[in-house]
Amino acid sequence: MSTNSMSDPRRPNKVLRYKPPPSESNPALDDPTPDYMNLLGMIFSMCGLMLKLKWCAWVAVYCSFISFANSRSSEDTKQMMSSFMLSISAVVMSYLQNPQPMTPPW
Amino acid sequence: MKTLPAFCVVLLVLWSVSEAKFDDFEDEEDIVEYDDNDFAEFEDVTEDPAPESPQRVVTTEDDEDEATVELEGQSENQEGDFEDADAPEGDTENEPYDDEEFEGYEDKPDTTSSKNKDPITIVDVPAHLQNSWESYYLEILMVTGLLAYIMNYIIGKNKNSRLAQAWFNTHRELLESNFTLVGDDGTNKEATSTGKLNQENEHIYNLWCSGRVCCEGMLIQLRFLKRQDLLNVLARMMRPVSDQVQIKVTMNDEDMDTYVFAVGTRKALVRLQKEMQDLSEFCSDKPKSGAKYGLPDSLAILSEMGEVTEGMMDAKMVHFLTHYADKIESVHFSDQFSGPKIMQEEGQPLKLPETKRTLLFTFNVPGLGNTYPKDMEALLPLMNMVIYSIDKARKFRLNREGKQKADKNRARVEENFLKLTHVQRQEAAQSRREEKKRAEKERIMNEEDPEKQRRLEEAALRREQKKLEKKQMKMKQIKVKAM
Repeated sequence: MSTNSMSDPRRPNKVLRYKPPPSESNPALDDPTPDYMNLLGMIFSMCGLMLKLKWCAWVAVYCSFISFANSRSSEDTKQMMSSFMLSISAVVMSYLQNPQPMTPPW
Repeated sequence: MKTLPAFCVVLLVLWSVSEAKFDDFEDEEDIVEYDDNDFAEFEDVTEDPAPESPQRVVTTEDDEDEATVELEGQSENQEGDFEDADAPEGDTENEPYDDEEFEGYEDKPDTTSSKNKDPITIVDVPAHLQNSWESYYLEILMVTGLLAYIMNYIIGKNKNSRLAQAWFNTHRELLESNFTLVGDDGTNKEATSTGKLNQENEHIYNLWCSGRVCCEGMLIQLRFLKRQDLLNVLARMMRPVSDQVQIKVTMNDEDMDTYVFAVGTRKALVRLQKEMQDLSEFCSDKPKSGAKYGLPDSLAILSEMGEVTEGMMDAKMVHFLTHYADKIESVHFSDQFSGPKIMQEEGQPLKLPETKRTLLFTFNVPGLGNTYPKDMEALLPLMNMVIYSIDKARKFRLNREGKQKADKNRARVEENFLKLTHVQRQEAAQSRREEKKRAEKERIMNEEDPEKQRRLEEAALRREQKKLEKKQMKMKQIKVKAM
């Protein structure tokens, strides 16, 4: 099969379909940021709810936003939404229980 | 919530006023005792309550304004009292006692008023009772931060999307002239070109091209910076990084000879040599300078054999590499490509990883992060280099010596691997044999018919005897040969 450089290099009979690479180990290896941020967000929102610390709840909101921004498209949106809702509820509950403004630690 | 404290204050005021009226009659006696008995008859009962009630109201925690008004009112009243007290009493028969008598009288109201003034402390209204937004400045700061993050997310996402589209528009023609299938996400039933990029992430875009001579397919991955994440944007201000375009061409087995070769920046090659399975096994030397072939100093070469380097570095390739050296991160050709080294916890894997003949290219987008869509045009010549490399890899064949060397290398690597895993493979084989024996024994036990059981047992015994005999024969043969 000799091909001239002038001729068309395309070969329609040799088309191979795209196979997404196996995703068992790769996503976690490539970039663990969204998973860490998700976990951190949940921990902070639980702290904020249990210990009634407003700053914990705000940090949880930030963590869930960062996790969302870094997430892969293959990831479950339900997980993302649940952590987001949890952090928002932590903030709201902290303010309902104690409407005083947040005091800076310094 | 905020009206509740105000309501409490109003209640307090009303209560204190009502209390004051009742207290008049209780405290009248105290005040009478306090003053000299001589002046009791001059005490005006009706005038005293007036200064007293404002004093009591003031001691509660009200606004400062109310307090000052009351004080002024009180002092005015007192002055009026003095004047009223002085005038009539000066005209009565107590003239000789005027100065002495009224000294005490003047002082005592002064002391009483001053003593009553001391407990009046002006207290700051606590933050939660203030009706101002300023006390919530930290919350406002937090919300502003969140809004800034959201704005940056939208802007970053749009920029990455525009860059990806600009890249695709620039390269579309070249790709469509070389590949039948441009763009496939693997979900359609038929193999038709989608004609667009596959978005994996907000910063990663894929494109699969297939249907060409010599190669199975080409996967292009646009790895942009995480412009949608504000934290990443701030981190990049400290340490600038480039967007990258990674191209992976999978070659047909018959279209590429057996060699491992890489060229790129020194830093990238050192990292690849550590990470990649094939480069670490076949290219054990340090990256060499490419100056001999006319390459700039920034680029280095990793090669399995000198012959491969000679063959690869022809005029056109050198031309590509010199002209676009700033955009080239690494170029890696390998027939033994299996990806990065896998760190397994249970020790070595039992089988050699699967290899594929691959050409890998990593290019840096110019701009070091501050990229504009028009910068994508600068990458078009690099795609030409990729196409040229595909054809070159097909044409380049090792001569006889080279082939022998390459085969020897591959055999050596395989042997090393087998040695390392020998113990584990033995254990695996042993466990498999034991499993078989156990399964057979179970089968014999489960047989209900005693006749069949006996027969199977006998068959198993015979097989074992045969095996023993064979082993003995082998031992004898080895002994004879040794002798």
